[in-house]
Amino acid sequence: MDLPVWQSIYTELNGKGFELVAAAQDTGGEAAAGKWYDAAKATYTTLIDTAHVVSSAYQLVNVPAGVWIDEKGRVVRPPETAAPKNQELKIGGKVIRTQGDEYVAALRDWVAKGEASEFAMSDSEYSRRMNGRSAAEQEADASFTLAVALRGRGLEDLARKWWQQAQALNPESWNYHRQDWSFTTDAGKKWMEKFQKTEGDYYPKLELKEKK
Amino acid sequence: MLNRRFLLLGAGALAGAPVAGATVLYEGRETTLGQSRVIDGDLWVEARDLPKLNGFEVKPQGACRGDVCIPLPKSLKNKSRLNLSGFARKVKQAAVREGDLWSFGEIPTLRSGYLDSRIAPSFVVRDRKGVDVRLEDFRGRKILLLTWASW
Repeated sequence: MDLPVWQSIYTELNGKGFELVAAAQDTGGEAAAGKWYDAAKATYTTLIDTAHVVSSAYQLVNVPAGVWIDEKGRVVRPPETAAPKNQELKIGGKVIRTQGDEYVAALRDWVAKGEASEFAMSDSEYSRRMNGRSAAEQEADASFTLAVALRGRGLEDLARKWWQQAQALNPESWNYHRQDWSFTTDAGKKWMEKFQKTEGDYYPKLELKEKK
Repeated sequence: MLNRRFLLLGAGALAGAPVAGATVLYEGRETTLGQSRVIDGDLWVEARDLPKLNGFEVKPQGACRGDVCIPLPKSLKNKSRLNLSGFARKVKQAAVREGDLWSFGEIPTLRSGYLDSRIAPSFVVRDRKGVDVRLEDFRGRKILLLTWASW
């Protein structure tokens, strides 16, 4: 689990003007996410984002994801996989890799050097990476939000209908799928089926340094 | 008596039946309206409610939020009311509905701040104690905004 590792990184960097704002993308709320924050003895900001508001605003499709934001509210690095250490998980004949060691080293460099850090992204690289949502993806996001509100009212069948609509309109989003599956008894099986069909890396390879 | 009731229902249908407690979802907020009507499947709201629904305000030049102003054609207005579904179509905003819940997606023209100008989108999310936390609370600090999930 990542959260305890993030706690040690936060402890190291907090005195240097750094804040870690963690947002649990959990419709199940405190009951689902709270124990993980407790186990990590988290002293950073611990949000319970039941409606996935952060993923909606930043166009995130999987967890974990990280965005670097500077003192003035400017995006320094747009969303990318944010693991706190290197991990390699062999599963179903494939490998899931995270490059957390490099990611945290880059984070330290930015906290120390600010804009002068080689990991503070250039405008040209930023614009190369950023794309707006398609009309289908926008409708998917509105559908997901609707499902969360329906579930909050105890209308689970209707929630599922709109979650499935979100999944159909934006199949790329693991968040839309996995949040829905978390309320079923065979989430693991469903994840494996989708994972097996996924081409390429589950977590896209990090490109921390820009090609000059 | 039956006749009269029939007439009342008929008049109500023409003007758009008032909807009890229509709730609008947008940018993570849930706003339940005191007054609203559904006409031909569109949600009409009181124009004065617009700021709390989506941050826009009705001005002589249109509906405005920050530097963005969207001209409002007459067809979207009726006295004090505004066609929120029609407004969504005009700004190419996704809108889906289930019963009295109306969920609106992002307004594409407002996204250029993030996509082009590198402005971190604002949000309000509760922390574990139920306190609203805003991105702006961390101004002056470097932030790693990190999502994770229990599932």
